[in-house]
Amino acid sequence: MSKQNRKKFLDIILGAGATAWFASILYPISKYLIPPDIADANVTSIEVGPEIEFKRGSSKIVRFGRKPVIIIRRKNGDLKAFAATCTHLDCNVQFKNETEQIWCACHNGFYDLEGKNISGPPPRPLAKYIVRVARGIIVISSEDMA
Amino acid sequence: MRHFSIFISSIAMSAIIFTTDLPQDACVSCHFEIDQDKDVDERSLTNILDDIHIQKGLGCSDCHGGNPEAFDDEDEAMWDVDSFLGTIERVDQPQVCGVCHSDPIYMRQYSAHIKTDQVGQYWTSQHGVSLKEGNQNVAVCTDCHSVHGIFPVNDPRSSVYALNVPETCNHCHGDSEVMEGSGLSNDQYDKYRISVHGVALLDDMDISAPACNDCHGNHGAIPPSVFSISDICGSCHVNNKDLFKDSHLSDIFLNADLNQCEGCHNYHDILTPTDEDLLWNDKDNCVECHQEIEDVANKMGVKFNNIITELKSKIDLANEKVASAENMGMEVSDLFFDLEEAHKILIQTRTSIHSFNLEHVSETASSGYKSADAAILGAEKAMEEFDFRKTGLLIFSIILTMFAILLYLKIKSLEKNK
Amino acid sequence: MSLYNWLNERIALESMTKFAKKKQVPVFYGTVWYYLGGVSLFLFIIQVVTGILLILYYQPGATTAFESVKFIVSKVEFGWLMREVHSWSANLFILFIFLHMFTVYFAKAYRKPRELTWYSGIFLLALAMFFGFSGYLLPWNELAFFATKVGSDIAGAIPVVGDFLLRLLRAGDEVSGATLTRFYGIHVAILPAVFTVLLGIHLALVQSQGMSVPPEQEHLAEDKRKYMPFFPNFALRDLLFWLIILNVIALLAVFFPWELGTKADPLASAPAGIRPEWYFMFMFQTLKLIPAHVLFIEGELFGILMFAMGGIIWFLVPVLDKKANQNIRSKLWKWIGIMLVIYIIVMTVWGYMV
Repeated sequence: MSKQNRKKFLDIILGAGATAWFASILYPISKYLIPPDIADANVTSIEVGPEIEFKRGSSKIVRFGRKPVIIIRRKNGDLKAFAATCTHLDCNVQFKNETEQIWCACHNGFYDLEGKNISGPPPRPLAKYIVRVARGIIVISSEDMA
Repeated sequence: MRHFSIFISSIAMSAIIFTTDLPQDACVSCHFEIDQDKDVDERSLTNILDDIHIQKGLGCSDCHGGNPEAFDDEDEAMWDVDSFLGTIERVDQPQVCGVCHSDPIYMRQYSAHIKTDQVGQYWTSQHGVSLKEGNQNVAVCTDCHSVHGIFPVNDPRSSVYALNVPETCNHCHGDSEVMEGSGLSNDQYDKYRISVHGVALLDDMDISAPACNDCHGNHGAIPPSVFSISDICGSCHVNNKDLFKDSHLSDIFLNADLNQCEGCHNYHDILTPTDEDLLWNDKDNCVECHQEIEDVANKMGVKFNNIITELKSKIDLANEKVASAENMGMEVSDLFFDLEEAHKILIQTRTSIHSFNLEHVSETASSGYKSADAAILGAEKAMEEFDFRKTGLLIFSIILTMFAILLYLKIKSLEKNK
Repeated sequence: MSLYNWLNERIALESMTKFAKKKQVPVFYGTVWYYLGGVSLFLFIIQVVTGILLILYYQPGATTAFESVKFIVSKVEFGWLMREVHSWSANLFILFIFLHMFTVYFAKAYRKPRELTWYSGIFLLALAMFFGFSGYLLPWNELAFFATKVGSDIAGAIPVVGDFLLRLLRAGDEVSGATLTRFYGIHVAILPAVFTVLLGIHLALVQSQGMSVPPEQEHLAEDKRKYMPFFPNFALRDLLFWLIILNVIALLAVFFPWELGTKADPLASAPAGIRPEWYFMFMFQTLKLIPAHVLFIEGELFGILMFAMGGIIWFLVPVLDKKANQNIRSKLWKWIGIMLVIYIIVMTVWGYMV
């Protein structure tokens, strides 16, 4: 190989190297630009499901970010949502349909349907969440976003 | 002359009298003069100014009788007055206090929801029954509520405020001389103090934790019997009570005159149960009864323990994996939801043992396995992601190094040309 | 080649390449120092690129900032990489500016006619530190929150204007969501604009005046001095350095990621071990060591005044060091520089030890 050719060859593979290097930087950047499936950064609201499937006088516990949230459908159809972790120790609360109260079975703590602690050991009310129904879908969102 | 002396002594008297709510009546002016050389404590008048009765405008004569208007005459003030009681005998205390406290119409003026059944309750208590039988060595009103420094129950200074109740009861119940002849031991406080309830109330200051009165009743103090103990414990430990009531053991305990909860958990020194209590060893409560049919109980307890141990080790593994993924700098905070959930179910599983039903226990535990597995899976995914990062870094570094070497060669060749 | 011609007819490409080729870089034992400014420039470019990318997902605000950063690092593909590269590159950026400054100082490169380059450089360093201070708060985590609180408190101790400055900085009396919005604006709009202009001036000065050499080199006879062309020889070496730095950043990003920590809670008590970023540590440590009262004034104020004095003296070195302009090394200024380096290192290490 002549000196000239060798120089040319070096230039070509140098160009190839530069391209590969550039590509290895562009790859993560282009991937980064594609928005992820979960479009929003914040778990400030979640969809619980269709309203018609949620029976009156029932409740369920759903995951809201890192925290469990209890969503309640009263006999009259009203929807309510509260943090599901009892303020006494860390048990999950449940809805008592007969008395329309929220109850923690661990030490018999009671809350009313405003989340207020009314009897038993709970020292504080349950945090409230906002429930809305949008196009038949129940959506709950945290209060500090309101 | 007498007027003058009252005047002088009034000035010389402890300043509290003038600056406070104490009614300036005949009782106060004379008794503070007579007793002025004794100090306030000795007259059991500590805190009298803050006493709820004084605060509500009552005076000495409202309990002790007498005529508070009669400033000049001892006889007119006390001895000639029919209602005068002087020092109230212990035996008479329930009646004297009950004059007001058992009168719903009178008491209503202070609070709409005030209770007036204390004296009635008291006569049903062991204290009241013994007092009626002529035993003076029992608690009467002032033993628990103090004499002149009586505060409402929700006042932290009150001797019957939740945090102070154990100490107050122990004043008598811990004193071997007082308890002599009662047939009771005097170690209840010491036992309670180390119990899960005592620690919660007195160390953690959790006033929702039960003090003596929460199990024994307030004025109707009595030890819970075989028939009531599971209801008393169950007023807080609902699930445990319900599960046990539905279990096959419930009737057996009743028929055998065994106290249900107490049978395994003791009383007063109710310690936090451990999973090892389920194993067939000296500490195991089952052993006491199940000596003959060792095999059955053996299987049951050990199986419960196995279920819990398995759940615990799964949770431990999940914790470990999540922690190590976190240490690698991976964002795994979402997994803490599953970890917390698994931990909640572990507690539920321990509770479910009160059903003494293997199926029920393992069913409860199974959702805990699921949560723990979800956390383990998530952590493993995070660690895989970390491996992906490392591989990516390696590829990037190789490309970069090659490019750098080529660049170096290019520079060398440029300089050689020169 | 036709593209080159097309461009050349429009923007005088030829004269630019001619200039770059004609430009000579002195070759001697200190040539390696010349790379430090270039590396700082490269890190600034990385900051701009990753910073713009982060803006695409970041949401300022007390209820969204922390969550959006968490979203970036956990949900967006390679989002973690962008954040880690941005954080690491920021730290290296300031480190290299410091190194650049001290090599320039000891090479006496601030002497006539390069005073303006020195002044603009000092301003750039100050801006870079403010960049770091404002960017530190943006993830809205506990550590950042309290570091900002402490940092802005120091601004509040300045006499007369302190209270005003504190309120101006915090957008209120306390560090709050409003502070975050303000810092965000400062970090992504105000500082980049000012920095870019100053950087342009700084680079234009370097290009027009050429590389400075220490006095001893200047004393050498012309035939004893060696040079290499800026383009392509020196530029390619620059690039080689940049590649190595980039790889180091990638390595740090994967193996030593910055923790996100817990979300800031203005009502929580300060966690133990609140520390400023390392480049503020020597000042922070000094302020801690100064007694409560020095000569009738408050210790903190005394410290701030000392730093202000020191900063002004350092800034005015081209004027104060009269010997440098005569191409003579002054022993006094050499020792001041050495003492300053030792002081910064000792105080920083001390600060991290306690």
